[in-house]
Amino acid sequence: MGFTQVYDYVAGKLDWLAAGLPIEGASAAHPRAGDVARPEVPTCGLEERLEDVQARVRAAGWDACVVVNPERVVLGLLRAKELDGDPDQRIEQAMRPGPSTFRPHVPIAEMAQYMVEHDSQNAPITTSDGRLVGLLRQQDAVRTAHELHQHHHGEEGGPA
Amino acid sequence: MTQAAPALACAACDKAIDCCEFCDRPDCPAAFCYRCVSVALGQATSDLHDHGG
Repeated sequence: MGFTQVYDYVAGKLDWLAAGLPIEGASAAHPRAGDVARPEVPTCGLEERLEDVQARVRAAGWDACVVVNPERVVLGLLRAKELDGDPDQRIEQAMRPGPSTFRPHVPIAEMAQYMVEHDSQNAPITTSDGRLVGLLRQQDAVRTAHELHQHHHGEEGGPA
Repeated sequence: MTQAAPALACAACDKAIDCCEFCDRPDCPAAFCYRCVSVALGQATSDLHDHGG
């Protein structure tokens, strides 16, 4: 068939999707959690002091920070509530450990629906081995899902 | 005397859980277990067969 480079991705299709790798097909153009998540979310390490992180996060205009290790594997989350804690604490003491994380290929409409139903403001998006892709904010997820819905509605209701 | 933690069950499969695996809240009114959240969001596939082969 003329292919010169062929690989067998042993971990399987779902792992490929979960790693945020490129996809093709009819639904490939639909935005997914990994497309909408913000990769520029502030990060910090376990050993830092909350006071230092508070200043950095607020200067960047954020109200959340993801705690990662040197390989960017997610260890915890600092939401507004945790960021308002005792500034003398180390991050390890202040963070919410082991937050639920989600894969980049999850359709944005489903993430938006679940985030609204569960009143979840932020959702860390990670690859299947736990590395941070970005932080998905509820307002971004809802806005994108709404735009997608409008786009589909426009296509279905277009001129005959 | 200590009080037992409130019982929480997965809204989809009724499995007993400590907290919702979507929002991490122990008082979530629509709590889901890890398995059901993963399947619902397409992060895992449901079992294709309920038998061994």
